[in-house]
Amino acid sequence: MAEEYAVELRGITKTFGPVVANHNVNLNLRKGEILSLLGENGSGKTTLMNMLSGIYTPDSGTILVDGKPVTISSPQDAKRLGIGMVHQHFKLVDVFSAADNIWMGAQEAGFVLKKDRYQKIEEMAKKFGFDLDPHKQVCNMAVSEKQTLEIIKVLYYGAKVIILDEPTAVLTVQEIDKLFGVLRRMKEQGHSIIIITHKLNEVMDISDRVAILRKGEYITTVDTKDTNEQELTEWMVGHKIDLNIERPKVEKLSPLLEIRDLTIRSDEGNVAIDHVSFYIRGGEMLGVAGIAGCGQKELCEAIAGLRPIESGKMIHKGENIVGLSPKEILAKGISMSFIPEDRLGMGLAPSMSITDNMILKNYNDTKGPFVDRKAGREDAQRVIDELGVVTPSTETPVRRLSGGNVQKVLLGREIKAGPNVIVTAYPVRGLDINSSYAIYNILNQQKKSGVGILFVGEDLDVMMALCDKILVLCHGKVMGVVHAHKTTKEELGLMMTGSLDLTHKYADKPAGYAADSLFDQEEEGK
Amino acid sequence: MRIHVVKREDCPLWKKILLYVGAVALALVLGGLVLLAMGVNPLEYYSKMFTMGMIGNKIAYKAVENYLKILVPLILTALGLSLAFKMRFWNIGGEGQFIVGAIAATAVAFLTGEALPQPLVLVLMCVAAMAAAGLLGVFVAALKVRFGTNETLLTLMLNYIALYVLTFLGETKGDWNFFLNPQSARPTFGSFASLVSFPKIMLGKFGLNICVLLTIVIGVLVYVYLKRTKQGYEIAVVGDSMGTARYAGMKVNTIVLRTVFFSACLIGLAAAFKVGTAGILSTSITDDVGWTGIIVAWLAQLNTVGIFLVSALIGVLQFGSTAAAATFSAVDSSFADMLQGVILFLVLAADFFTRFRVVITKKEVERHG
Repeated sequence: MAEEYAVELRGITKTFGPVVANHNVNLNLRKGEILSLLGENGSGKTTLMNMLSGIYTPDSGTILVDGKPVTISSPQDAKRLGIGMVHQHFKLVDVFSAADNIWMGAQEAGFVLKKDRYQKIEEMAKKFGFDLDPHKQVCNMAVSEKQTLEIIKVLYYGAKVIILDEPTAVLTVQEIDKLFGVLRRMKEQGHSIIIITHKLNEVMDISDRVAILRKGEYITTVDTKDTNEQELTEWMVGHKIDLNIERPKVEKLSPLLEIRDLTIRSDEGNVAIDHVSFYIRGGEMLGVAGIAGCGQKELCEAIAGLRPIESGKMIHKGENIVGLSPKEILAKGISMSFIPEDRLGMGLAPSMSITDNMILKNYNDTKGPFVDRKAGREDAQRVIDELGVVTPSTETPVRRLSGGNVQKVLLGREIKAGPNVIVTAYPVRGLDINSSYAIYNILNQQKKSGVGILFVGEDLDVMMALCDKILVLCHGKVMGVVHAHKTTKEELGLMMTGSLDLTHKYADKPAGYAADSLFDQEEEGK
Repeated sequence: MRIHVVKREDCPLWKKILLYVGAVALALVLGGLVLLAMGVNPLEYYSKMFTMGMIGNKIAYKAVENYLKILVPLILTALGLSLAFKMRFWNIGGEGQFIVGAIAATAVAFLTGEALPQPLVLVLMCVAAMAAAGLLGVFVAALKVRFGTNETLLTLMLNYIALYVLTFLGETKGDWNFFLNPQSARPTFGSFASLVSFPKIMLGKFGLNICVLLTIVIGVLVYVYLKRTKQGYEIAVVGDSMGTARYAGMKVNTIVLRTVFFSACLIGLAAAFKVGTAGILSTSITDDVGWTGIIVAWLAQLNTVGIFLVSALIGVLQFGSTAAAATFSAVDSSFADMLQGVILFLVLAADFFTRFRVVITKKEVERHG
């Protein structure tokens, strides 16, 4: 008799209209193992897992749990079968306490909220070795706490099979270590775990086996110990790929943008950026690392003139830019592109055409009351040709493009304006390997032509390979600026959590002050 | 057997038109069943309704004139609403803005009608109506921009305030109240038709009201404004993504205020045209165009040409049912309202089918567990 798997998928196919998300996928999960599900964006990982957790139902194919064929047509079915999923975007009610978030979905919850729910849940969290305050409201929780809560929730419902969709995307290095510790412990207790990620080093670290999907098709499953990152990448993208990110050496020019003692408040009125100083030279790429929500957004908005600052100075080529309107800052050649989590929120008008998005920043430069779409169409065509944007036409709504193409359109427009400072936040967010490398190339091209780049990123490996220096933020404070080729991930991780402060490493000069600062020039100019 | 709803990538235009026409046809069939149940021959009723009682009628041109009278305010209101809706500003205050505009235009007519030449009075009526309605709109927009209030609630509430102000004017006798008919002992609105009214261009017996021509001109202007001008572009960007507009350096607040002002202005103009042709105020002066206009704007998917077409259709329903009611006494003219509702429902359903497709898979999937 064949080995009995905790979960087995046979010939699963799922289509969305003309799009085949999964085609004839076979996958099996042994009892008590950690299986990594690896694949590029749009390779169908999440769709496949959503079918296991009852959000989608497969068009064809069979799902077997503990060797028996089952139909999972709702999350309730999945719960009953002991399958739980921790989604990439947490499914929690912000204004509820931790306990209530678990309680509301529990089978035995009944009609009345019982007082003992706090105690029950705390006991159960302790049993699995979690540290959780059941009274704490979700909106007061840090990201890692929310994730812990999601995991506890799934365990509480009695899941034996746990699926985690990109759990590490929002965590720091130290938090990832902690999470992996939890996963290993769960494995020892006999749980089977599927973890979705596209970070290869994590795959190598945590999993027993790796299953690979490419463009909706199942490629193979291998034992982690028999493979390596290069091999996995080739399976994932289907051809050989150079994993090295280029960092062209460019002669450093004088400081282009200098920030001194900048303090900014967030929308809620908290201090988001706290007395931050740094500078960017021409031909330099400065990375900004930090846990999500550490003031990156506020910093970008302030530089672009979209957010008033509390105190401090920002000078560009020796000229003060504090208090200028977004338009005036744009005119000085400072371009900002921020890719938010939903990708289309800032910088692009999603239902409008590529042409209309091209003219967004210069539609008002022409005379007269009419919009010049002809020039916009030519610009759009040029960006499409030069950056290889895949689109039916220049009149296609941006929303219809895939993620990589959306980001190319956005960067293409910014570069077209010929900026001398590019502030780019999460430019490869959610992109697969090929598209990411295309974006790195675009940025490197700009750097070579003397543009100063502020690169707000998430992936430390990428930033260490691509950027010249990395500025680390923790709760809005600068923890130091380090040379990207000299630092380590552990060092960055410690700085991100605030455990390591390197601002006073060089006692002779304050961190973030350029030796050849143009500040004096500005003072004289007054 | 299982049913899947699948998203369509693209729906060819002919299919869309077919679906919409099919939806209207189906609505008529459903309405026909209701008519049958009442013992009325639906074919006869519909032929009366769609010809608006013009066939065999010696004064058929009168019917066309009256039909256009219904059409003009509806089109203008829908055009005005489409401006705000494009920007995702939910102006459902068409009724209130219409009423305020009508009151302002009437006031101008009574106060200056005798002293000034008629063309000047008409222009002043339009300007006053547009300003009054526009300011009411800007008031709500300013609160939204400044304090983030909800425009849907505010415009809705202002509808009732405006309506009660109008009722107050219509029911309060007083020396100051020049809106009333001084000859009548009971408070009734006075007519200014003898003082001033929009001129007609006579084409034989048929009098083409100048408002019709003006409406067509305004329709063209709105089309060009939305499609070609910088301001139209700004409206589209703000409507699509407020964050993006701000990021591009647009003065979002100014754009919102300006657009809502224009939106309400057009509704005010609709009111001026309406009272300028009717020559009298009434508490039902709006003819519900503030509500119907919302339906028209959405059915037309905020498309300027579409607004003219949909208005024409709805106008036929409303006017035709009144005409048919003359022959079929059993069928009240509110049958048109019902039909309108059914059409709206089915067109929305058709809209769903232009975006999605229903696939039925034959394969039986066994249920376990």
